[in-house]
Amino acid sequence: MSDKKNLLYIPKIENGIVIDHIPSGEGIKILEIIHSYPQMKDVVITFGLNYLSTKFGSKDMLKLQIDFLDPKIIQHVSLVVPGVTIKSIKNYEVYKKIVIQPPDVISNLLECRNPKCITRSERHLETVFVVVDKQHKKVKCNYCERVFNLNELETRIQP
Amino acid sequence: MNKDLISMDDLAIEEIKEFIALAKIVEDMPAEQRVNYLHGKIMAAMFFEPSTRTRLSFEAAMYRLGGNVIGFAEQAATSVSKGESFSDTIHTVENYSDILVIRHPSEGTARLAGEISFLPVINAGDGSNQHPTQTLLDLFTIEKYFSKITGLKIAFVGDLKYSRTVHSLLMALMKFGVTDFTFVAPESLALPDYFKPDDDRYTFYETDSLEHVIPDCDILYMTRIQRERFPDILEYEKVKDSYVIDAKMLARAQSHLKVLHPLPRVNEIAYDVDNTSHAGYFPQAKNGLIMRQAILLKLLGVQL
Repeated sequence: MSDKKNLLYIPKIENGIVIDHIPSGEGIKILEIIHSYPQMKDVVITFGLNYLSTKFGSKDMLKLQIDFLDPKIIQHVSLVVPGVTIKSIKNYEVYKKIVIQPPDVISNLLECRNPKCITRSERHLETVFVVVDKQHKKVKCNYCERVFNLNELETRIQP
Repeated sequence: MNKDLISMDDLAIEEIKEFIALAKIVEDMPAEQRVNYLHGKIMAAMFFEPSTRTRLSFEAAMYRLGGNVIGFAEQAATSVSKGESFSDTIHTVENYSDILVIRHPSEGTARLAGEISFLPVINAGDGSNQHPTQTLLDLFTIEKYFSKITGLKIAFVGDLKYSRTVHSLLMALMKFGVTDFTFVAPESLALPDYFKPDDDRYTFYETDSLEHVIPDCDILYMTRIQRERFPDILEYEKVKDSYVIDAKMLARAQSHLKVLHPLPRVNEIAYDVDNTSHAGYFPQAKNGLIMRQAILLKLLGVQL
């Protein structure tokens, strides 16, 4: 029986990145984020849903066959699904592991919604948002000083 | 010390008090002594949006301190109208002057200028965001009239949605520990929620009746209702007169009540208020000249 169960598991990867301890149902959000970055379009990804987890009961998991995950993507993931674990795998072994938390400052990821904000007209300017309320996910634009709920803001991804 | 003066949010209460103390020193100083401090210095007044008071008082402040002024008073007169970016304009003008004073319709412009320029930058109003020099002169005025800021009852009246002077002053008053605020505004021009912190310490009393709040408050901070903001002119007609204050209404006020206004006024303060002891708006404008001298001295590193 247990052998059969094992067959369903995602195979170990030799080298790459594993995003683990994703609360069940949230994995798809991370997959969407990763897919929104043009450089990630061709990366081989294995996606697992509803795995047994001692921590959560069940969890989602992503395995990426890529050597390096752009810190911008990690920052983005940490905002949407905080608390997941990112593991770097070398020769089938975990050699580095971090639990990601939302940052205090979000650089060049979000687009300010205020049409009169200078970041909307000076396009070369990197946006900066300061997290003013972690619990309620409120961020403040460094330039126009407007406070937004995080979910109101679109990401600013350069194609 | 900050190199720039961009937002009240950047200033600690001690720094605000320093500006007020410095303004008091400037006020008491003989004109012939004042005129030597900024000799040989050039202020660039970059006004991408029209302004009378702020621009003229900054220019007068610079001349009073012995300095010189270059600049422009509207965007049409600049290379921005030829498509130059704001950043490039800053990088150019910073070579010609010692300090930049910037008014711009977009929000965050002064912050950007402060980040990219090696010169001190003063925000003279960025869109509906911040107007810190107005706030400092408002606080200086309040301090002069009442010898305190904390504990005063202040009612803001008029356009609380778009008025950057209200937004800046509100932020500063919170730093001074003011917790009770009264807002008198039509629903369409109410103070946006993002200016009201989610904090039990604060009480925000919102009403549309000006008459109700007069007997109770120490300061009436009036603003112009901006006709152009109303999508429906009938709506404007409906509300504009509810926020006109006259001498008769002020008969019910406490004797020490002061009416302040960043000016220009349209019809929200009747001319008969000018002759009452409540009128504080013209002295307030004069305090602007003094405070702006204090700001120029401080940011240009002059020790008094």
